Amino acid sequence: MEILGNLVGGIGHAVSPLNLALLAAGVLLGMVVGVMPGLGPSAGLAILLPLTFSLDPTGAIVMLAAVYYGAMYGGTITSVLINTPGESATVASTFDGYPLAQQGRAGPALVMAAVASFVAGTVGTLMLSVAAPVTAGVAESFGPPELFLLVMAGLLTLIVVIGKNRLLGVISAIIGFALATVGIDIGGGEQRYTFGSPELINGIDFIPVAIGLFGVGEVLWTLYNGGHLERLRYFKLKAGSQGFWPTRTDWRESRGPSVRGSFLGFFVGVAPGAGATIASLMSYSLEKSLSKRPERFGKGAMPGLVGPEAANNAATSGAMVPLLTLGIPGSAATAVLLGGFLMWDLKPGPLLMEQEPDFAWGLIGSMYLGNAMLLAINVFCIPIFASLARVPFRDLAPVILVMCALGTFTVNDSIIEVGIMAVCGVLGFFMRLFGLVPAATVIALVLGPMAEETLRQSMIISGGSFAVFVQRPGSLVLLGVIVVLSLLPLYGAWARRRAPDQSRSGERV
Amino acid sequence: MRFRIRSALAAALAMALLTACGAGSTGGGSAESAEDYPSKQLDWTIAFGPGGGNDIMARTMVDILKKKKLYPEDIRMENRDGGSGATGWGHLFSKRGDGYAISTTSGSFITTPMQAKTGWTWKDFTPVGLMATDNSLFTVNPKSNITTWEAWVDSAKEKGTVKVGGIGTVNVDFIQHAMLAQQAGYKIDYVPFNEEGQLITSLSSGALDAIVSNPSEVVGQIDAKKMNALLYTGKKPLPSHPHIPTGESLGYEDLPSTPRGLILAPDAPEHAQKWWTDTMKKVVATPEWKAYLKKNDLTPDERWGDDFTAYLQETSGLLETKLREQGALK
Repeated sequence: MEILGNLVGGIGHAVSPLNLALLAAGVLLGMVVGVMPGLGPSAGLAILLPLTFSLDPTGAIVMLAAVYYGAMYGGTITSVLINTPGESATVASTFDGYPLAQQGRAGPALVMAAVASFVAGTVGTLMLSVAAPVTAGVAESFGPPELFLLVMAGLLTLIVVIGKNRLLGVISAIIGFALATVGIDIGGGEQRYTFGSPELINGIDFIPVAIGLFGVGEVLWTLYNGGHLERLRYFKLKAGSQGFWPTRTDWRESRGPSVRGSFLGFFVGVAPGAGATIASLMSYSLEKSLSKRPERFGKGAMPGLVGPEAANNAATSGAMVPLLTLGIPGSAATAVLLGGFLMWDLKPGPLLMEQEPDFAWGLIGSMYLGNAMLLAINVFCIPIFASLARVPFRDLAPVILVMCALGTFTVNDSIIEVGIMAVCGVLGFFMRLFGLVPAATVIALVLGPMAEETLRQSMIISGGSFAVFVQRPGSLVLLGVIVVLSLLPLYGAWARRRAPDQSRSGERV
Repeated sequence: MRFRIRSALAAALAMALLTACGAGSTGGGSAESAEDYPSKQLDWTIAFGPGGGNDIMARTMVDILKKKKLYPEDIRMENRDGGSGATGWGHLFSKRGDGYAISTTSGSFITTPMQAKTGWTWKDFTPVGLMATDNSLFTVNPKSNITTWEAWVDSAKEKGTVKVGGIGTVNVDFIQHAMLAQQAGYKIDYVPFNEEGQLITSLSSGALDAIVSNPSEVVGQIDAKKMNALLYTGKKPLPSHPHIPTGESLGYEDLPSTPRGLILAPDAPEHAQKWWTDTMKKVVATPEWKAYLKKNDLTPDERWGDDFTAYLQETSGLLETKLREQGALK
């Protein structure tokens, strides 16, 4: 009851005209930040943070949080349309989103992704409203051993992504792990493969690599296949025309993945670390394991897009739990928000929700409204974004290349990273030519450094004993999750063999 | 090999661009007389990402400069983060002779060049002054039932080796842990972290026995009794939490702190250095600056020009000795 009262008060606080205007500005800016390749939520928040110093804290956090979750909606659009993830949490959305667009189903893909994001945003906010204090305990129990196991669960996606192409897939992943070793080694402070360049001290960021391998690589590949000679006919443009809106099968197929993705995303998002990325990857492997037709994954399966989309949005709500209830930033983006708290004269910490109820509940209330706004904006804007697909590829290709270069440069103002992106673009082309798996490279690059760092921390703590992974309750639970995730595909195969006819007929409704 | 050539080419290109820009502005700067300073847009480098201690200090300073109309021209602030400050201060280093390029300092200003080939050290830059120091709180998990430093030392000795954590490897956090352990007579396994959030949950999850953090990052936890603070590394007690004993009161001297100061590009004109020293003296006297120090639990510590250099010399010598003793530097 108290929660309901708080929430009503919070929504009341959020609907002041000024806060509504800030919320609208936030979701729109978030969409723009998400659509720009390279400009992820943490970079976007960093740029906007100084503008909020003169605002009232509630208005400021309402706007910045809207940028944060708005970016997750926007990031989907480039992932689906031009195969370029703007940040690590939307990497999984390219796996099936882009094949869907290639089949002329960009419209249904974008609409379903927006709906899944809305469902997940709402479920996540609901969980944040009712379960924040309980789930805060989850975040508090996360030490290096638990984080390492969580990263391992995310790495299981490699198996799913690599599929049957084992040798080339493993080589692709190893390229990613190798790139991940560049930079200062957090354990010992030594420089590895930096060749004396200060720009490489922090390692190779995944953004230039992902934009190069996916975005530029895809452009080169399409040109190689003669894409510039013909108009790409993704789909007919007018809303209402056949093929723009999702079919009944799309809706039915998406129900399970969006609900599962929402809960998975929220809980993984609560853990400090790279919640949204790991959540979306885990959701992808989960959906493939549960699917009756896993062979469609990677070739345009709607659940393969909807699940990760739901997971990455719910993870942004999950990440608010440690931020609001414990004052602990779980991700780069929430660390920027925490920096904002200090500037707005708030004291972040476990007492924040008690001491500043208007602020915390105003934020939570605004998240319900913000997600609704984003759904509306997305459904109305999708025809505009999707009209990109009507542009002949020979005109679109240079624009994509410029956007990729500009997007990479904006992140760190680094010309070297633009160079890395260009090299990876060429690499991405040849990887496609020889049947390697660029997605495996990117997953390995994103999760590799986290795996290494948390494993080394765990080993220092345990004095080199692997028993640390079975001695702590949190670790045991996560080990169980990993075992279940690994066994699910086997179970799926068994279930399919048992009832092949039913599943086939079910798909054709 | 190909990669190396490529990055070298890219670096050469970037350097050429930077020098071109630098040369453009320096040309104007040298012709300018001392009375005219400042007459141009200021290039303010923040060597770290937004939201961190360095960023917040820089933004507070600029806010005061603007509010009090102390700097008549535009100030362009840019977060040039990467490489533990190597990128940002590397940019400032490339602005040699320019009186319009400025940056704020951190502990990494001294330690990063010790571990990486940055091409510069703190000695290369033109010092303006130290305005404050950021000290650390030593905290433990309340579930340990340890509430005093003495109890901590006893339990650490009993355990033989304790697991302690902080941010970075070659850094102030590590040296604080190492000095405290050495003098008190217990052994540590130091676990380095990249992010404060993960450091804090490692303590709360029971994976670590103790951590050090800047006060603004953990006072919320201490007030909520989610952490027990046993020691503060500052010389004077922390104003918001005066009951936490200082290192000195417990017999631990010379614990290093993070210098929060201001520097100009190498060989900046003398009149620029003087102008900034005079102006920053006005800034630190404002109520806004005092409010900032209080909010972030910083210790005011003002040292200008040569005093600042002497301070950097002393801190850098201490850090280097300790890092070598601990084997973190070879």
